[in-house]
Amino acid sequence: MASALEGLRVIDLTVWFQGPVAAQHLADFGAEVIKVERPKGGDQGRGVRSIKALPVGDWNQYFLVINRNKKSMALDLKTEAGREIMHRLVAQSDVFLSNLGADNLEAWGLTWEKLHAINPKLIYATTTGYGPYATTSKPSFDMTVQALTGLMSRLGEPDQPPIYLGMGSGDAYGGLMAALAILLALWRRNTTGVGQHIDASLYGAQLFLAAPTLQAWLATRDTRWSAQQSRTAARNPLWNTYRAKDQWMMLCVPNRDDAFRAFSGSVGDATIAAEAKFASAAGRREHARELIAKLDAAIATRTAAEWMTRWATLGPRGVAASPVATLADLAEDAQAWANDYLSETHCEEVNRTVTVRGMPVTLSKTPGTIRSLGPELGQDTEMILFEMLGYDWDEIGALKAAGAIP
Amino acid sequence: MNKALEGIRVVDLTVEFWGSIGAALLADFGAEVIRVEPLTEAPALGVEYEHAPGEWNAFAALAQRNKQSLAVDLASARGRTLVQDLVGKADVLITDRSRDALAAAGLDYGTLVAKKPDLIYARGSGFGPQGPDADLPAIDELAAARTGMMPILPQPGQPPVFPGHGQMYTAVMLPFGILTALHHRVKTGEGQEVDASLLAGNMYGASLDLQAYLAIGGERMLQPISRLDAGNPMSGTVYMSEDGPWVTLTMPDTDRWWPIFAPLVDLAVDDPRFDTHDKRCGANRLEMMQVLEQAFLRKSAAHWRAMFQEHQLSADIIESYEFPATDAQVYRNRYLVEVDDPSHGKQTTLGFPIFMRETPGRLSGGAPARGQHSAAILHDVLGISEDEITALRDAGTIGG
Repeated sequence: MASALEGLRVIDLTVWFQGPVAAQHLADFGAEVIKVERPKGGDQGRGVRSIKALPVGDWNQYFLVINRNKKSMALDLKTEAGREIMHRLVAQSDVFLSNLGADNLEAWGLTWEKLHAINPKLIYATTTGYGPYATTSKPSFDMTVQALTGLMSRLGEPDQPPIYLGMGSGDAYGGLMAALAILLALWRRNTTGVGQHIDASLYGAQLFLAAPTLQAWLATRDTRWSAQQSRTAARNPLWNTYRAKDQWMMLCVPNRDDAFRAFSGSVGDATIAAEAKFASAAGRREHARELIAKLDAAIATRTAAEWMTRWATLGPRGVAASPVATLADLAEDAQAWANDYLSETHCEEVNRTVTVRGMPVTLSKTPGTIRSLGPELGQDTEMILFEMLGYDWDEIGALKAAGAIP
Repeated sequence: MNKALEGIRVVDLTVEFWGSIGAALLADFGAEVIRVEPLTEAPALGVEYEHAPGEWNAFAALAQRNKQSLAVDLASARGRTLVQDLVGKADVLITDRSRDALAAAGLDYGTLVAKKPDLIYARGSGFGPQGPDADLPAIDELAAARTGMMPILPQPGQPPVFPGHGQMYTAVMLPFGILTALHHRVKTGEGQEVDASLLAGNMYGASLDLQAYLAIGGERMLQPISRLDAGNPMSGTVYMSEDGPWVTLTMPDTDRWWPIFAPLVDLAVDDPRFDTHDKRCGANRLEMMQVLEQAFLRKSAAHWRAMFQEHQLSADIIESYEFPATDAQVYRNRYLVEVDDPSHGKQTTLGFPIFMRETPGRLSGGAPARGQHSAAILHDVLGISEDEITALRDAGTIGG
């Protein structure tokens, strides 16, 4: 099947998550991604041994999934010969992507100015912590930057600890932004023939991630958008979490009178529909605590499945509601499988089929594909030197002797 | 100013905040985005935070900026033909409407591809183009509830948490898919359909938790984990400071940080309980979290911030939105920008999450009034005469 990004070559000098996942998006849609790693240990993501105090098991899913569809080249950039190889790679590539510190890139001759001089067509992409004009110099990880944005402190019930959006949630967004930026720059290059420097940072991406509430807060400076809000006082009691007899549910009924009339008749507490103070949208808002308490009691009397059946027949399109799933439910969700959001693939490391995150974007004619999981460290080093860069075997032997490659 | 997407024309039929942002990102980077606003609908957006009439509509200011607006009666045959003709002159259609609504307006892929064979038809959906729930409404809360993260975000015993950010992944996946399809089109001349759903966005945002569950399984991944039962006391943890703000640490490779970190929390580097990574993250993990809990409570957030800065630790204070709003580097990077709204004066809005040296995100216009560009679009893009435009306006087919 055709690949949308076939013919693009990306040099991926990234570690951990934000950088690698940016290149993964491009690789999924057919770009040739060459991951360049230090010979000793490679990408630090290869070293992940446990997640949530659980051993990762016999295959390192942290590394192997975000580095799928890539080649690996082991290169010691601390050696002059290693840097020379990198420059030759760059001369024949479309994109250079890195999330290493600016000091490393400077020391290894990998600045925008230097690489642009070597290859004016090159897109020079960085993923950073705080952006190209940052004044913060501290090391950055997803969660420490998420902490600064204000995203965490507004979640959860009042007086509970702040809530992290999930492992790698900010990295994933920065990586996606970088992938989009690279495609924008490549598009521009179609016109000009010249590359440019792009950057996506954890800080910038996560501020954008906060848009639905941050933008409202910027306009109103109302703590309702920035501080923890209790579900027991939700402004629209009909759009809220409720605990059914067996599990939590998410209910999404607009605070409109017609919707309320249809819904309130279904919950089995006649006083809700009859109560005058709940009859208007403003009344429901003003008496939210009371209405939520009544709904809490009513909804707890039946199971989620019973509610889903009952609500499906209300009104022309039913009541929008869903049981609150667990990751185990998602792993078996027919909808996720039907759309290739979950996928099975062969894992060479353990020689069996494993389940992985699939394609988050669906293209009807050139869908993304998983051709292999993450590469072994340096597995393609010699072939790239030989076939792409034109080194002969004697030269490759000399590079080994010089320690540029393992 | 140079524009990355110069010459790309996009017809924007979005309704939702996230869908409109997907189109706005294309406009920010130079595409000509024509927003089609049905005259029979209440204007989209702006209701979420119930801004008073006359107040600045912050949602529209972000999600509709840099766009043009065509107001048209999609219930009329002539109105539908105008929009179909417009799509015929465009490269991309982007929408987040239901398939039923699109088909009813003659704006389904099958109809439009007949007019524009290489069209890129991008749809933000709730749950993806395939499967039994492909036509469930596109509501972020429903997708988040399906994703499995809501129960495990809070502390044990707490209600599930709707985080609200899943839609923003989808908002960027849409333009990513469109650009990928454009790259394919430029090589082959072939257009196609693109779909990015709220379910996919929420799942992508849950990448590592989800992938870990898929690989490891087990009950621990399905239940909230107490913050004092983290896998690594020095990574992914939160501790309260003396004056209330919370501190967070991300130092996964603890050996690297321990010699600097231990003295700051009044521990000896060679404390036999914690002197190896395995002890810190293994046998003595829970004890270490109790010790850190007490240590962080002894000093103020300002103290900890100064220490983290001085020692260049991967750690910070958990802030509120006031922090980025007053952080100079946020403006220097244009993540937030100040705009001078003609009616509402100086306002702060989200800027551009992507830096491009040669073709930066630009703010060439605020959100258009509904129908502000109707006449110009009909004239310039479709070549319709002034007389006919007047007739269309008189007939109520177009507005503005």
